[in-house]
Amino acid sequence: MTSSNYLILSSIIFSIGFLGIFINRKNIISILMSIELMLLATNINFVGFSNTLDDLFGQIFALFILVVAAAEAAIGLAILTIFFKKSGSISIDKINKLKG
Amino acid sequence: MTSTLFYIFSITTILSSFFVVFSSNPVHSVLFLIFSFFNVAIIFLLSDAEFLAMTLVIVYVGAVAVLFLFVVMMLNINEVLVKEGFLKYFPLGLLLISVFLTELIVVFKDLEFFSSNNSGISISNLLNQGHENTKSLGLYLYTDFFIIFQISGYLLLVAMIGAIVLAHDNKLSLKSQNILKQKQVKKDDIIKLK
Repeated sequence: MTSSNYLILSSIIFSIGFLGIFINRKNIISILMSIELMLLATNINFVGFSNTLDDLFGQIFALFILVVAAAEAAIGLAILTIFFKKSGSISIDKINKLKG
Repeated sequence: MTSTLFYIFSITTILSSFFVVFSSNPVHSVLFLIFSFFNVAIIFLLSDAEFLAMTLVIVYVGAVAVLFLFVVMMLNINEVLVKEGFLKYFPLGLLLISVFLTELIVVFKDLEFFSSNNSGISISNLLNQGHENTKSLGLYLYTDFFIIFQISGYLLLVAMIGAIVLAHDNKLSLKSQNILKQKQVKKDDIIKLK
């Protein structure tokens, strides 16, 4: 595997995640899952470059990205549950209470 | 051999992440997300990152994806409403993504990076000294990157407390004692002399 293989794989997965954010406007869970996909793509990049450049730092940084992804998922799902409890739907078009 | 396996698992990863985005049932898309995490874990194994592969399976599949599945099943979402507005945003999104992806692939297609060998932590040197992947990660994580490691621990703690505070419902019908209210009670409120 060369570094361009890793780069193309991760850019395809990143684009799929980005497309998911674009089209799933009625479902915040899908948006959170798309964000997880994008973080996974960055992880693939870090591990791939760690492999091709023979440097351990990529794997260490990927570990910290894993931590951030787990924290983000926990907070996002907590906000989602209380939002569903208050409004009865998970559509992001309904999130306009702060609009003023 | 390794290259063939890499291609096979890359294709399954891409297909399953495609179904994450496009399947109409949220439970199916969480299950496809788990499948793509497994495939990426195998790709990590092929890239000699054994510890990260196992951590990905434990943290993502064991914790995050199960949390997603739990929330999806708890919320009872209407499937018909979820796909509303799909066609409205799909053409613009597809256009943007195809331009973005084409640019990236054209740039990345023949790109090749070589190790400069003068900086960084060499994995092959560590392997020659007899340190495997997990051991060498620990060697650097607990020494050179100790501050970042501690800060990420605090980040997880704050995230945990935040999630508990957000999701905890104070107005449950529990017969618990409200100390502030109890302290503010005046004598006249409770004792009536006639």
